[in-house]
Amino acid sequence: MQDSPPPGEDQAGEVGFAQALLAAAQAIEPATVLRDKSDRITLQVPAAAIAKICQWLRDDPALRFDLLYDHTAIDWPAENRFELVYLLAAVLDPQPRTRDLQVMVTTSVPRDNPVIDTVCGIWPIAEWQEREVYDMFGILYTNHPDLRRLFLEDDWEGFPLRKDYEDDFMLERPT
Amino acid sequence: MGMITDGLPGFLEPLPGGSAVLTKVDQLVNWSRSNSLWPLTFGTSCCAIEMMMASGAARHDISRFGAEVVRASPRQADLIIIAGTIVKRMAPRLRTLYEQMAEPRYVIATGSCTIAGGPFIYHSYTTIRGADEIIPVDVYVPGCPPRPEALFYGLLTLQKMIREGESLRHPGERRRPVLSALPEGMTIEDIQAEMRDLLVADANVKMSEELAEGAHWAQELKDF
Repeated sequence: MQDSPPPGEDQAGEVGFAQALLAAAQAIEPATVLRDKSDRITLQVPAAAIAKICQWLRDDPALRFDLLYDHTAIDWPAENRFELVYLLAAVLDPQPRTRDLQVMVTTSVPRDNPVIDTVCGIWPIAEWQEREVYDMFGILYTNHPDLRRLFLEDDWEGFPLRKDYEDDFMLERPT
Repeated sequence: MGMITDGLPGFLEPLPGGSAVLTKVDQLVNWSRSNSLWPLTFGTSCCAIEMMMASGAARHDISRFGAEVVRASPRQADLIIIAGTIVKRMAPRLRTLYEQMAEPRYVIATGSCTIAGGPFIYHSYTTIRGADEIIPVDVYVPGCPPRPEALFYGLLTLQKMIREGESLRHPGERRRPVLSALPEGMTIEDIQAEMRDLLVADANVKMSEELAEGAHWAQELKDF
Protein backbone atom coordinates (compact mmCIF):
# COMPACT_ATOMS: atom_id res chain seq x y z
CA MET A 1 0.00 0.00 0.00
CA GLN A 2 2.99 2.30 0.26
CA ASP A 3 2.97 3.06 -3.47
CA SER A 4 -0.75 3.63 -3.85
CA PRO A 5 -1.81 7.13 -4.83
CA PRO A 6 -3.70 9.07 -2.18
CA PRO A 7 -7.44 9.20 -2.71
CA GLY A 8 -8.22 12.52 -4.28
CA GLU A 9 -11.40 14.44 -4.82
CA ASP A 10 -11.38 13.49 -8.50
CA GLN A 11 -12.80 10.22 -9.77
CA ALA A 12 -9.46 9.07 -11.19
CA GLY A 13 -7.76 9.25 -7.79
CA GLU A 14 -10.45 7.15 -6.19
CA VAL A 15 -10.33 4.54 -8.93
CA GLY A 16 -6.56 4.31 -8.54
CA PHE A 17 -6.94 3.92 -4.80
CA ALA A 18 -9.54 1.19 -5.29
CA GLN A 19 -7.23 -0.76 -7.61
CA ALA A 20 -4.34 -0.48 -5.17
CA LEU A 21 -6.62 -1.55 -2.33
CA LEU A 22 -7.77 -4.56 -4.35
CA ALA A 23 -4.20 -5.59 -5.13
CA ALA A 24 -3.23 -5.39 -1.47
CA ALA A 25 -6.34 -7.30 -0.43
CA GLN A 26 -5.65 -10.03 -2.98
CA ALA A 27 -2.20 -10.47 -1.47
CA ILE A 28 -3.97 -11.46 1.74
CA GLU A 29 -6.96 -13.28 0.25
CA PRO A 30 -6.69 -14.14 -3.46
CA ALA A 31 -10.45 -14.59 -3.95
CA THR A 32 -11.18 -10.93 -3.19
CA VAL A 33 -12.94 -8.99 -5.95
CA LEU A 34 -13.98 -5.38 -6.41
CA ARG A 35 -17.68 -4.91 -6.97
CA ASP A 36 -18.63 -2.92 -10.08
CA LYS A 37 -22.04 -1.55 -9.24
CA SER A 38 -21.51 0.27 -5.99
CA ASP A 39 -21.63 3.84 -4.74
CA ARG A 40 -18.39 3.38 -2.83
CA ILE A 41 -15.33 1.15 -2.91
CA THR A 42 -16.58 -2.35 -2.17
CA LEU A 43 -14.49 -5.42 -1.51
CA GLN A 44 -16.18 -8.80 -1.81
CA VAL A 45 -14.37 -11.40 0.23
CA PRO A 46 -15.03 -15.07 1.10
CA ALA A 47 -16.67 -15.58 4.48
CA ALA A 48 -13.70 -17.48 5.85
CA ALA A 49 -11.37 -14.51 5.29
CA ILE A 50 -13.49 -11.78 6.89
CA ALA A 51 -11.53 -11.53 10.14
CA LYS A 52 -8.18 -11.48 8.32
CA ILE A 53 -9.30 -8.77 5.87
CA CYS A 54 -10.86 -6.63 8.60
CA GLN A 55 -7.73 -6.90 10.78
CA TRP A 56 -5.64 -5.74 7.84
CA LEU A 57 -7.97 -2.83 7.00
CA ARG A 58 -7.75 -1.56 10.56
CA ASP A 59 -4.03 -2.15 11.17
CA ASP A 60 -2.40 -1.20 7.87
CA PRO A 61 -0.65 2.13 8.54
CA ALA A 62 -1.78 3.48 5.17
CA LEU A 63 -5.45 2.69 5.75
CA ARG A 64 -6.38 2.75 9.45
CA PHE A 65 -10.11 2.12 9.08
CA ASP A 66 -10.73 2.50 12.79
CA LEU A 67 -14.51 2.85 12.72
CA LEU A 68 -17.02 0.16 11.83
CA TYR A 69 -19.94 2.53 11.51
CA ASP A 70 -22.48 0.02 10.35
CA HIS A 71 -22.87 -3.69 10.05
CA THR A 72 -25.98 -5.26 8.63
CA ALA A 73 -27.23 -8.14 6.53
CA ILE A 74 -29.34 -8.61 3.41
CA ASP A 75 -31.48 -11.67 2.80
CA TRP A 76 -31.34 -13.12 -0.73
CA PRO A 77 -33.66 -16.14 -0.59
CA ALA A 78 -33.45 -16.83 -4.33
CA GLU A 79 -29.68 -17.18 -4.12
CA ASN A 80 -29.90 -18.97 -0.75
CA ARG A 81 -27.50 -16.63 0.99
CA PHE A 82 -27.22 -13.81 3.48
CA GLU A 83 -25.05 -10.94 2.38
CA LEU A 84 -23.18 -9.36 5.30
CA VAL A 85 -22.16 -5.74 4.95
CA TYR A 86 -19.41 -3.97 6.89
CA LEU A 87 -19.13 -0.20 6.40
CA LEU A 88 -15.79 1.27 7.39
CA ALA A 89 -14.43 4.76 7.85
CA ALA A 90 -11.17 6.29 9.04
CA VAL A 91 -11.77 9.04 11.56
CA LEU A 92 -8.94 9.05 14.09
CA ASP A 93 -5.91 9.08 11.80
CA PRO A 94 -4.49 12.62 11.50
CA GLN A 95 -3.16 11.78 8.05
CA PRO A 96 -5.88 12.71 5.53
CA ARG A 97 -4.92 9.72 3.41
CA THR A 98 -8.13 7.78 3.83
CA ARG A 99 -10.15 10.61 5.31
CA ASP A 100 -13.61 11.16 3.75
CA LEU A 101 -13.37 7.73 2.23
CA GLN A 102 -15.78 4.96 3.01
CA VAL A 103 -15.05 1.37 2.23
CA MET A 104 -17.60 -1.40 2.19
CA VAL A 105 -16.66 -5.01 2.81
CA THR A 106 -19.24 -7.63 1.92
CA THR A 107 -19.34 -11.36 2.26
CA SER A 108 -21.95 -14.07 1.92
CA VAL A 109 -22.96 -16.95 4.14
CA PRO A 110 -25.39 -19.74 3.20
CA ARG A 111 -28.95 -19.35 4.46
CA ASP A 112 -29.14 -22.82 5.94
CA ASN A 113 -25.87 -22.47 7.88
CA PRO A 114 -25.28 -18.76 8.60
CA VAL A 115 -22.08 -18.95 10.61
CA ILE A 116 -19.23 -16.44 10.44
CA ASP A 117 -16.33 -15.24 12.56
CA THR A 118 -16.96 -12.26 14.80
CA VAL A 119 -15.05 -9.02 14.24
CA CYS A 120 -15.66 -7.64 17.73
CA GLY A 121 -12.02 -8.28 18.61
CA ILE A 122 -11.13 -5.74 15.91
CA TRP A 123 -13.85 -3.13 16.51
CA PRO A 124 -15.50 -3.48 19.96
CA ILE A 125 -18.66 -1.78 18.67
CA ALA A 126 -19.25 -4.83 16.50
CA GLU A 127 -20.37 -6.67 19.61
CA TRP A 128 -23.62 -4.66 19.61
CA GLN A 129 -24.01 -4.56 15.85
CA GLU A 130 -23.59 -8.31 15.56
CA ARG A 131 -26.12 -8.80 18.32
CA GLU A 132 -28.61 -6.76 16.31
CA VAL A 133 -27.92 -8.74 13.13
CA TYR A 134 -28.30 -11.96 15.10
CA ASP A 135 -31.57 -10.63 16.50
CA MET A 136 -33.04 -9.78 13.11
CA PHE A 137 -31.44 -12.31 10.74
CA GLY A 138 -30.18 -15.12 12.94
CA ILE A 139 -26.56 -14.92 11.79
CA LEU A 140 -24.39 -16.90 14.23
CA TYR A 141 -21.06 -15.28 15.09
CA THR A 142 -18.41 -17.63 16.36
CA ASN A 143 -16.36 -16.40 19.35
CA HIS A 144 -18.87 -13.63 20.07
CA PRO A 145 -18.75 -13.07 23.87
CA ASP A 146 -22.46 -12.40 24.39
CA LEU A 147 -24.68 -13.41 21.49
CA ARG A 148 -28.15 -12.62 22.86
CA ARG A 149 -31.15 -10.84 21.38
CA LEU A 150 -30.83 -7.06 21.51
CA PHE A 151 -34.21 -5.50 20.61
CA LEU A 152 -36.74 -8.30 20.67
CA GLU A 153 -37.92 -10.25 23.69
CA ASP A 154 -35.70 -13.10 24.78
CA ASP A 155 -38.39 -15.67 24.03
CA TRP A 156 -39.10 -14.38 20.51
CA GLU A 157 -39.27 -17.16 17.94
CA GLY A 158 -37.75 -16.66 14.52
CA PHE A 159 -35.84 -13.79 12.96
CA PRO A 160 -38.23 -11.12 11.65
CA LEU A 161 -36.14 -9.52 8.92
CA ARG A 162 -35.76 -12.80 7.05
CA LYS A 163 -37.92 -12.69 3.95
CA ASP A 164 -39.74 -15.91 4.85
CA TYR A 165 -40.58 -14.83 8.40
CA GLU A 166 -44.23 -15.15 9.41
CA ASP A 167 -46.13 -14.93 12.66
CA ASP A 168 -49.70 -14.60 13.91
CA PHE A 169 -49.48 -10.84 14.42
CA MET A 170 -48.60 -10.04 10.81
CA LEU A 171 -51.28 -8.88 8.42
CA GLU A 172 -51.25 -9.96 4.79
CA ARG A 173 -52.15 -7.40 2.17
CA PRO A 174 -55.61 -8.27 0.82
CA THR A 175 -55.53 -9.05 -2.86
CA MET B 1 -60.62 20.93 42.48
CA GLY B 2 -61.23 17.32 43.19
CA MET B 3 -63.61 18.20 46.03
CA ILE B 4 -65.58 20.53 43.78
CA THR B 5 -65.81 18.22 40.82
CA ASP B 6 -66.68 15.17 42.91
CA GLY B 7 -68.97 16.63 45.55
CA LEU B 8 -70.63 19.58 43.85
CA PRO B 9 -73.10 17.80 41.52
CA GLY B 10 -74.60 15.74 44.32
CA PHE B 11 -74.88 18.81 46.56
CA LEU B 12 -76.24 21.27 43.97
CA GLU B 13 -78.59 19.11 41.92
CA PRO B 14 -81.42 18.76 44.56
CA LEU B 15 -81.45 22.51 45.34
CA PRO B 16 -83.92 24.76 43.52
CA GLY B 17 -82.14 26.24 40.52
CA GLY B 18 -79.14 24.06 41.27
CA SER B 19 -79.19 22.54 37.84
CA ALA B 20 -78.71 25.90 36.14
CA VAL B 21 -75.87 26.78 38.50
CA LEU B 22 -74.24 23.46 37.79
CA THR B 23 -74.39 24.14 34.06
CA LYS B 24 -72.59 27.42 34.64
CA VAL B 25 -69.99 25.68 36.78
CA ASP B 26 -69.60 23.16 33.97
CA GLN B 27 -68.89 25.94 31.53
CA LEU B 28 -66.32 27.50 33.86
CA VAL B 29 -64.56 24.20 34.53
CA ASN B 30 -64.55 23.20 30.86
CA TRP B 31 -63.27 26.61 29.82
CA SER B 32 -60.37 26.42 32.26
CA ARG B 33 -59.57 22.82 31.35
CA SER B 34 -59.62 23.46 27.62
CA ASN B 35 -57.28 26.42 27.94
CA SER B 36 -54.74 24.77 30.18
CA LEU B 37 -53.93 21.49 28.48
CA TRP B 38 -50.51 20.33 29.56
CA PRO B 39 -49.05 17.91 27.04
CA LEU B 40 -46.67 15.12 27.91
CA THR B 41 -43.23 15.00 26.33
CA PHE B 42 -43.85 11.87 24.33
CA GLY B 43 -42.67 11.22 20.80
CA THR B 44 -41.68 7.99 19.18
CA SER B 45 -40.75 8.88 15.61
CA CYS B 46 -40.99 11.46 12.83
CA CYS B 47 -44.32 12.97 13.94
CA ALA B 48 -42.49 14.03 17.09
CA ILE B 49 -40.33 16.36 14.99
CA GLU B 50 -43.44 18.18 13.82
CA MET B 51 -44.72 18.22 17.39
CA MET B 52 -41.44 19.81 18.46
CA MET B 53 -41.86 22.34 15.66
CA ALA B 54 -45.29 23.11 17.07
CA SER B 55 -44.34 23.29 20.73
CA GLY B 56 -40.75 24.45 20.81
CA ALA B 57 -39.83 26.27 17.63
CA ALA B 58 -40.15 29.91 16.69
CA ARG B 59 -42.79 30.18 14.00
CA HIS B 60 -45.51 27.96 15.40
CA ASP B 61 -46.32 28.74 18.99
CA ILE B 62 -48.49 26.24 20.81
CA SER B 63 -48.64 28.51 23.86
CA ARG B 64 -51.23 30.60 22.02
CA PHE B 65 -53.61 27.74 22.78
CA GLY B 66 -52.60 27.43 26.42
CA ALA B 67 -50.80 24.16 25.80
CA GLU B 68 -47.16 25.15 25.94
CA VAL B 69 -46.35 23.69 29.34
CA VAL B 70 -44.90 20.44 28.04
CA ARG B 71 -44.28 18.27 31.06
CA ALA B 72 -41.68 15.57 31.39
CA SER B 73 -43.73 13.63 33.93
CA PRO B 74 -47.09 12.04 33.11
CA ARG B 75 -48.33 12.92 36.60
CA GLN B 76 -48.20 16.60 35.71
CA ALA B 77 -49.74 16.24 32.25
CA ASP B 78 -53.32 15.82 31.11
CA LEU B 79 -52.84 15.62 27.34
CA ILE B 80 -50.80 13.04 25.50
CA ILE B 81 -49.99 13.74 21.87
CA ILE B 82 -49.10 10.33 20.45
CA ALA B 83 -46.53 11.37 17.88
CA GLY B 84 -45.14 8.41 16.01
CA THR B 85 -45.29 4.71 15.39
CA ILE B 86 -46.23 2.57 18.37
CA VAL B 87 -44.54 -0.82 18.38
CA LYS B 88 -45.17 -3.88 20.52
CA ARG B 89 -42.40 -3.05 22.98
CA MET B 90 -43.72 0.52 23.37
CA ALA B 91 -47.38 -0.41 23.84
CA PRO B 92 -47.21 -1.37 27.55
CA ARG B 93 -45.18 1.78 28.30
CA LEU B 94 -47.75 3.93 26.50
CA ARG B 95 -50.52 2.31 28.51
CA THR B 96 -48.58 2.93 31.74
CA LEU B 97 -47.97 6.58 30.85
CA TYR B 98 -51.64 7.06 30.04
CA GLU B 99 -52.74 5.55 33.33
CA GLN B 100 -50.27 7.70 35.27
CA MET B 101 -51.63 10.92 33.78
CA ALA B 102 -53.90 13.16 35.83
CA GLU B 103 -57.68 12.98 35.31
CA PRO B 104 -59.32 14.25 33.16
CA ARG B 105 -56.88 13.16 30.47
CA TYR B 106 -57.06 13.63 26.74
CA VAL B 107 -55.39 11.92 23.81
CA ILE B 108 -54.51 13.31 20.40
CA ALA B 109 -53.22 10.76 17.88
CA THR B 110 -51.17 12.40 15.13
CA GLY B 111 -50.11 10.78 11.90
CA SER B 112 -50.98 7.71 9.90
CA CYS B 113 -49.08 5.29 12.13
CA THR B 114 -51.02 6.12 15.28
CA ILE B 115 -54.32 6.12 13.42
CA ALA B 116 -54.03 2.80 11.59
CA GLY B 117 -50.42 1.63 11.42
CA GLY B 118 -49.64 3.75 8.38
CA PRO B 119 -47.16 2.29 5.91
CA PHE B 120 -46.39 -0.53 8.34
CA ILE B 121 -49.90 -1.97 8.41
CA TYR B 122 -48.98 -5.03 6.32
CA HIS B 123 -46.12 -7.47 6.81
CA SER B 124 -44.96 -5.84 10.02
CA TYR B 125 -43.97 -8.04 12.92
CA THR B 126 -44.12 -5.26 15.47
CA THR B 127 -46.16 -2.16 14.54
CA ILE B 128 -49.40 -1.68 16.46
CA ARG B 129 -52.15 -0.93 13.93
CA GLY B 130 -53.57 2.16 15.58
CA ALA B 131 -52.82 3.61 18.99
CA ASP B 132 -56.51 3.21 19.89
CA GLU B 133 -55.81 -0.47 20.35
CA ILE B 134 -53.82 0.59 23.43
CA ILE B 135 -55.51 3.71 24.82
CA PRO B 136 -58.73 5.59 23.96
CA VAL B 137 -58.14 8.45 21.53
CA ASP B 138 -60.13 11.71 21.47
CA VAL B 139 -58.89 13.43 18.34
CA TYR B 140 -57.22 11.92 15.29
CA VAL B 141 -54.98 14.24 13.28
CA PRO B 142 -54.21 12.71 9.87
CA GLY B 143 -50.99 13.40 8.00
CA CYS B 144 -47.66 11.74 7.44
CA PRO B 145 -46.53 13.58 9.46
CA PRO B 146 -49.15 16.34 10.00
CA ARG B 147 -47.88 19.89 9.76
CA PRO B 148 -47.96 21.99 12.93
CA GLU B 149 -51.03 23.76 11.52
CA ALA B 150 -52.85 20.45 11.40
CA LEU B 151 -51.78 19.68 14.95
CA PHE B 152 -53.11 23.08 16.06
CA TYR B 153 -56.36 22.37 14.26
CA GLY B 154 -56.59 19.11 16.14
CA LEU B 155 -55.87 20.94 19.39
CA LEU B 156 -58.66 23.45 18.64
CA THR B 157 -60.97 20.53 17.93
CA LEU B 158 -60.09 18.97 21.27
CA GLN B 159 -60.71 22.28 23.02
CA LYS B 160 -64.13 22.50 21.38
CA MET B 161 -64.87 18.94 22.47
CA ILE B 162 -63.93 19.72 26.05
CA ARG B 163 -66.03 22.89 26.13
CA GLU B 164 -69.13 21.32 24.66
CA GLY B 165 -68.88 17.72 25.64
CA GLU B 166 -68.20 17.45 29.33
CA SER B 167 -70.23 17.81 32.46
CA LEU B 168 -69.48 17.36 36.13
CA ARG B 169 -72.66 15.27 36.32
CA HIS B 170 -70.98 12.55 34.30
CA PRO B 171 -67.27 12.68 35.08
CA GLY B 172 -65.11 10.84 32.60
CA GLU B 173 -67.81 10.72 29.97
CA ARG B 174 -66.85 12.34 26.72
CA ARG B 175 -67.95 12.62 23.14
CA ARG B 176 -67.02 10.10 20.51
CA PRO B 177 -63.56 10.53 18.99
CA VAL B 178 -63.35 12.74 15.93
CA LEU B 179 -61.12 12.87 12.90
CA SER B 180 -59.75 16.38 12.72
CA ALA B 181 -58.53 16.69 9.16
CA LEU B 182 -57.28 20.11 8.20
CA PRO B 183 -59.62 21.31 5.42
CA GLU B 184 -58.12 21.79 1.98
CA GLY B 185 -56.49 25.18 1.56
CA MET B 186 -56.53 26.08 5.24
CA THR B 187 -53.45 27.99 6.37
CA ILE B 188 -51.89 29.08 9.63
CA GLU B 189 -53.51 32.49 9.14
CA ASP B 190 -56.97 30.91 9.07
CA ILE B 191 -56.22 29.05 12.26
CA GLN B 192 -54.97 32.23 13.87
CA ALA B 193 -58.22 33.91 12.83
CA GLU B 194 -60.23 31.10 14.35
CA MET B 195 -58.22 31.31 17.53
CA ARG B 196 -58.77 35.06 17.60
CA ASP B 197 -62.53 34.54 17.27
CA LEU B 198 -62.38 32.06 20.14
CA LEU B 199 -60.49 34.55 22.27
CA VAL B 200 -62.97 37.30 21.48
CA ALA B 201 -65.86 34.95 22.19
CA ASP B 202 -64.44 34.11 25.59
CA ALA B 203 -66.12 35.97 28.41
CA ASN B 204 -63.05 37.69 29.77
CA VAL B 205 -62.33 39.51 26.54
CA LYS B 206 -65.94 40.52 25.98
CA MET B 207 -66.25 42.06 29.43
CA SER B 208 -62.98 43.89 29.07
CA GLU B 209 -64.16 45.26 25.75
CA GLU B 210 -67.03 47.07 27.42
CA LEU B 211 -64.83 48.36 30.22
CA ALA B 212 -61.90 49.33 28.07
CA GLU B 213 -63.80 50.68 25.09
CA GLY B 214 -61.30 52.68 23.13
CA ALA B 215 -58.35 51.28 25.00
CA HIS B 216 -55.43 50.76 22.62
CA TRP B 217 -54.92 47.07 23.38
CA ALA B 218 -58.58 46.21 22.76
CA GLN B 219 -58.33 47.76 19.31
CA GLU B 220 -55.04 45.97 18.67
CA LEU B 221 -56.61 42.67 19.55
CA LYS B 222 -59.36 43.30 17.02
CA ASP B 223 -56.87 44.27 14.32
CA PHE B 224 -54.54 41.37 15.11
